Amino acid sequence: MVAAVAVLLALPALIGALPASDAGTSAPDLRDRALASSDVAFTGYAQAAGGLTLPVGDQLTSVADLLSDRTTMRAWYRAPDDWRVDVVSATGETGVHRDASGTWTWRYEDDVASRAAALPLSLPTAPDLLPSVLGRRLLSEAADGELSRLGAERVAGRDALGLRITPSDAAASVSRVDVWVDAESGIPLGVQVSGGQTGGGEPAVDTSFLSLDLVTPAASVTAFTPPPGADVRRDQQQADLLDTGRQYAAVQLPATLAGLPGRAVDGTPGAVGVYGRGVTLLAVSVLPGRAASPLRDTLVVAPGAVVDDLGVRIAAGPLGLMLVDNGNRGTWLLAGTVDLDALATAAAELPAPPRRGDR
Amino acid sequence: MIAVELSKMFRRPRTWVTIGLLNGLPVLVAVLLALTDLAPRPGEGPPFLSAVLTNGTLYPLAALAIVLPLFLPIAVALIAGDAVAGEAQAGTLRYLLARPAGRTRLLVAKLVSVFAFVLVTVLVVAAVGYLVGQVFFEVQPLGGTALSGTSLTPAQIAGRTVLSIGYVTVSMLGVAAFALFFSTLTDSPLAAMIGALAVLIASSLLFTLDAASSIAPYLPTRYWLAFVDFFRDPILWRDIVRGLALQAVYVAVLLGAAWANFATKDITS
Amino acid sequence: MTAAVIATQGLVKRYGQVRAVDGIDLDVRAGDVYGFLGANGSGKTTTVRMLLGLVLPTSGEVQLLGERMPKAARRVLPRVGALIESPAAYGHLSGRANLTLLDAAGPGGSRRTRRPRVDEVLEQVGLAGVGRRPVKAYSLGMRQRLGLAGALLRRPELLVLDEPTNGLDPQGIHEVRDLLLELHRAGTTVFLSSHLLAEVEQLCSRVGVLDRGRLVLQDDLATLTAPTGATVVETPDPQRVRAALDGRVLSTDGVRAIVRGADPAEVNAALVAAGVPVTGLALQRPSLEEVVLAAAGGSADRVDGTEGRTRR
Repeated sequence: MVAAVAVLLALPALIGALPASDAGTSAPDLRDRALASSDVAFTGYAQAAGGLTLPVGDQLTSVADLLSDRTTMRAWYRAPDDWRVDVVSATGETGVHRDASGTWTWRYEDDVASRAAALPLSLPTAPDLLPSVLGRRLLSEAADGELSRLGAERVAGRDALGLRITPSDAAASVSRVDVWVDAESGIPLGVQVSGGQTGGGEPAVDTSFLSLDLVTPAASVTAFTPPPGADVRRDQQQADLLDTGRQYAAVQLPATLAGLPGRAVDGTPGAVGVYGRGVTLLAVSVLPGRAASPLRDTLVVAPGAVVDDLGVRIAAGPLGLMLVDNGNRGTWLLAGTVDLDALATAAAELPAPPRRGDR
Repeated sequence: MIAVELSKMFRRPRTWVTIGLLNGLPVLVAVLLALTDLAPRPGEGPPFLSAVLTNGTLYPLAALAIVLPLFLPIAVALIAGDAVAGEAQAGTLRYLLARPAGRTRLLVAKLVSVFAFVLVTVLVVAAVGYLVGQVFFEVQPLGGTALSGTSLTPAQIAGRTVLSIGYVTVSMLGVAAFALFFSTLTDSPLAAMIGALAVLIASSLLFTLDAASSIAPYLPTRYWLAFVDFFRDPILWRDIVRGLALQAVYVAVLLGAAWANFATKDITS
Repeated sequence: MTAAVIATQGLVKRYGQVRAVDGIDLDVRAGDVYGFLGANGSGKTTTVRMLLGLVLPTSGEVQLLGERMPKAARRVLPRVGALIESPAAYGHLSGRANLTLLDAAGPGGSRRTRRPRVDEVLEQVGLAGVGRRPVKAYSLGMRQRLGLAGALLRRPELLVLDEPTNGLDPQGIHEVRDLLLELHRAGTTVFLSSHLLAEVEQLCSRVGVLDRGRLVLQDDLATLTAPTGATVVETPDPQRVRAALDGRVLSTDGVRAIVRGADPAEVNAALVAAGVPVTGLALQRPSLEEVVLAAAGGSADRVDGTEGRTRR
């Protein structure tokens, strides 16, 4: 009886420990294989666990939940612009359906279907935590020198080859990223991001497929038609972001911030700047006053927050967040995977935000 | 023997009182919802409850979801815990065994009657839920919306409801097996019921603990809510299959233990 | 010698350190009305339960109707009727429904004859007119009758009864006694476990006495209470008996003298010759009580000194 229980308890560990074959692929080759896997169709089931507590209060709760909770996802992937990811909860689900021109997001609990255009820059959502998506994104700008091999493991019952990114940027707050790449298809099966002060060496973000089949799902599965009676709307957060950008379109952002080079992202509103490379990224944007002041109130009282002349800044794992107040001229929001010193440096280099409506 | 046990159980007023009380809560919830028109906030409350205001066809599922966490296990533990210990306490066990009913046969008959109770109870909850849904809420003959936002035909809804009822029944078999096992250990039906409930409460508690995540897949309550997965589109079989397998293992192990204990036990009650 | 209906060899039941039943060899033969006597806690109930396969012996063997128990329980027990300690029934059902369920719960009760058999036993125990009243409304005596009815349901060859007159009024006790004697005449062997000496003395042909788990006595009642070879003389003046029959008087008390000699006529003649008034004469027979007390020690309920026997 006791032995039987012990065997049962050990079962997942035993299955996980089955010998995986290390194909002896070099790290850059493995990265290239992973990046080339975006055309491989699959059906999978993944779980992401975030260990980051973002002190953002009522603002951006969806993002905060994503980074602090356990998220269970079902994924159907046909092509980069034809997929579906359902976040499954005990009592409902939120499905994101991607098609050629944008995404439908269906929230069962609210009976709401919202439509958003495909943009290069948007707030993180659950599909961004899918190992395949996150893994490819993090690997996409990794230099050969930042990569090393980790051996092999079993992930989702498949042979996975390990790849580690150790960022070389001085400002980097991410200490390492481990990506487990499917030996057969190149799809990243698991991603662990570590860095910052997360206790016990636990990764700040840990996402893995629990099962993955390389079968192409039917087109009817990824397609979406709002059900009758559902509330159909435009994505409000994206609308806000765009509005903000338009209001402050005239702002001139510096070419580099805290030593990180600025990068051009197509379709980015003028008041939003993105700096850095690879896994060390810093985003800067102007926040409207109605969003900034409650956020600042929450940040100031959060444990570990640094408040000084520059503003308020805080680290949650490898994620840094900073608000730079410029009185009635608006507020800079800095967010990214950089350490607190880099945030302070960047804040000092920023100009005052333009007046609302200055075009 | 099985017929005898079934007849004993279903002729017992307490059996029907239990089932009746069990249905009280979903009916009360339905009346309150219909009177106030206040659905629970999305994402809160039992699954499907927020949807019933627009579609009463889903009320059987909401009713099951309402009773599943506590009432249904209590009812099942009550009846299953009573199965052997109740006979022992009343003194009828010795007469049954001296009759002779045969210990294994008696246990099997008890098992079958407890399973029949589980099935009848779940069916009655679903049936009452259906009636209540038809009476109190707007009914959409068009079928309904899956959790995934796709539309289901009435036939699909009906089929998946039947599957859910079956799944909930199987989930309760684990509770029944625990209570029946404890029932062979003690002469007190109350102790057997409380023992089974203690296991379930411990299981529910451990399930929420990250520290217990290594044993979480083996907790008896782990996959209870997986009946919701029948209403995803496509159906998410993963947890359902695991839930069925887990219950099967629990039922097999516990019944084996119950049999091993009961077959060699000194009947001193 | 007639066939053994109950035979045990070296039957032992140990609960932890306590030997509740300590190596007993029961011998009950066909046609016996066997009185199984013992104080409360002497191990009677445990023995009865072992006979019926409810309690498994620590060691030793039980044979019931010639077959090994508990292995042959399924073949043997349908031929045995039992009343074990108190009667028990489902309170929400009528007596008739209880009997029907009990009969259906095991082998050896044909479904076709169930109704008439139930009617018959209800008649036998005097519950025929009780109707559909649920058992929870029965008096203690009625429950006892119902338990007896359950034991009689399949016209058993052997009746094992544990305190069958418990809770009955004198009239009821008399009825039950008549019923048992009637069944016995019809060929049923009766194993009657009791602590009531009078009941056993009136009913039984054989007696076994259990004391602290040991069978201290097992014999025919007639043998146990056979004349002792002395005569009891009732007289207003026992001292004169002593004077008249010097040396033969074993003992005297206020109105009696015990005189050695198994011939009352001879004793009477001697006393009359001596002019001693004699008001009564009888052969001395030991009472069952005397036999039992002589064989068994104190009550098992007593907890004396160091031994500290604890029994349920």
